[in-house]
Amino acid sequence: MTAPAGTRRVAGRSRGVAAFVRGRREGWERLDALVDRVGAGRLTLAEVEELDRLYRRAIGDLSLARTAFPGTDAEGYLAQLAARAFATLYRRRRGGWGQAVARLRSEGPAEVFRHRDALVLAAGLMGGGLLLGALATAVDPEGFSWLVPAGVREALAARRLWTDDLLTVAPGLSGGTIARNNLSVAALCFALGLTGGVGTALLLFGNGALLGAVLVAAWRAGLGAGLAGFVAAHGPVELSALVLAGQAGFVLASGLVTPGEWPRMEALARRGREAARILALVAPLLLLVAAVEATVSPAGRFPLPARVGLGLGLAVAVWSYLWRVGRATARANAGRARGSSR
Amino acid sequence: MERARRPGYAAPVRSEDQWQVETPEQVALSLPLAGVGARGLAALLDLLAVFLCWMVGLFVYSIWGDLLGRVQGLTWVGQLLLVAAVLAAGWGWDVAWEVAWRGQTPGKRALGLRVVRLDGAPVGLGESLVRNALRVLELPLGYAPAVLAVALSSRRQRLGDLVAGTLVVQERRFDLSRYGAPAAVEARWSVLKQRAPGLLAPADFERLLDFLRRRAELEAAPRARLAERLAAALAARAGLGPPPPGEAEPFLEALHAFASEEA
Repeated sequence: MTAPAGTRRVAGRSRGVAAFVRGRREGWERLDALVDRVGAGRLTLAEVEELDRLYRRAIGDLSLARTAFPGTDAEGYLAQLAARAFATLYRRRRGGWGQAVARLRSEGPAEVFRHRDALVLAAGLMGGGLLLGALATAVDPEGFSWLVPAGVREALAARRLWTDDLLTVAPGLSGGTIARNNLSVAALCFALGLTGGVGTALLLFGNGALLGAVLVAAWRAGLGAGLAGFVAAHGPVELSALVLAGQAGFVLASGLVTPGEWPRMEALARRGREAARILALVAPLLLLVAAVEATVSPAGRFPLPARVGLGLGLAVAVWSYLWRVGRATARANAGRARGSSR
Repeated sequence: MERARRPGYAAPVRSEDQWQVETPEQVALSLPLAGVGARGLAALLDLLAVFLCWMVGLFVYSIWGDLLGRVQGLTWVGQLLLVAAVLAAGWGWDVAWEVAWRGQTPGKRALGLRVVRLDGAPVGLGESLVRNALRVLELPLGYAPAVLAVALSSRRQRLGDLVAGTLVVQERRFDLSRYGAPAAVEARWSVLKQRAPGLLAPADFERLLDFLRRRAELEAAPRARLAERLAAALAARAGLGPPPPGEAEPFLEALHAFASEEA
């Protein structure tokens, strides 16, 4: 119970903490409520002015409390309130969901366009894996049978298209379960960027090889048309989404491998934000894939040409959208940067 | 923290780890960072919530019986909504809550945790997507990388936090009503009134408040002992002898009343 001389002296010439809190509490709680509402809805002009006034007063109160009442709950409360109000008032401008979607629509494609070298790498690895897997299975089906999962092999041997199987078990739900798998592969593609891109490359190549091998194996078993019919409608967009996720992984990896003038952790965080914008495109694409897979892809609903047309059409629409918006946004950004540097 | 070394100063937080920023008004602000325990517990609570969601789903399934038939009968809009629901129960849980509740999931809210950006601002959609996407690396390894990263990194960040540029801070709940207006004081304590101004250092006053708030929860014997020790120490500060036996609590109440009135 020994109070140090310093604290005591300060307390001697200050007011009591209780009276201080009683006099100010109403304003603090009003500030608390206003800060809560900044994120949730619109404030009137009068409320914004009130918020500004209350924030400045709270900062002043905090300074006072730090010298006069250190270690009290009043100081702790004020420190927390001021930190929250500061972070809310001084954050970079950003809106809610509406603006997030608007940013996604322009900034995602812009990152895809800007990091097109990573995109080419991701697409090349997946395409290369697909070709090699297909080639290996075509040339030596026995030797490379390990490329095809055992369950699929058995189904093929029984001349039974396993997607039919899947669909008779859970027709409506297959979209959901497949999207979960897609989603984890896509998320893993991105996250393995932390391995400097090695994991992402392996995952892309491996998935490509698997797909190529399965396609050729199905073809040799005489089930090619059935499988093609199943994947035609959603496959192109699905592969596009995986390639985009791989691109995001490589962008993340570039923060570690080629950080440039930044410290590696800083570069990682910056590229991480850029990669996130690409990744944010992947989620809605996978949702689209799931929707198509659950409605169009099941056998017998639509003729093959319609499915192929839909699949290719969707993929072309997605890529032309990404390219057009991405290039336009990139140019606009470059123009703004030049304008501001003058 | 510089001030924490001063004797008698009750540090508001025990953790050394702080998020810190200086405002344009030249005031340094800080919030304590959350540690492994609180974050682990919050994650478990969220896991429990997702699990309960699935249990409720299965329960409904067992009531309706032919759920598959119903799903087949749905329009494509209905199937799309179903797919969205399945996704939401997994990965989307954290992202949706963190965006909607400004950095808090139900588990984090229960423990007073909040995800913020490095500049202290509420977390956005992009950051939340990234920090939760990287769970796929940690989940298969039983979250061991996350625990290690939080324990070892200077800013208490998981891999996801590092990549997204986010922090998890610990918020405390303060009850300002403890500073409320005091009750009336009996006349016999008026001798204290002249001594009271400036008598109590803020830290002493806080301890007095803590005791008065908590005394109802204490057993009789420790309560009396604590009251006597506190009263004796504070009376000595006022240059008085200790209050007579059994008078410790009325003495403390009177002291509290006078110190609270002090303006």
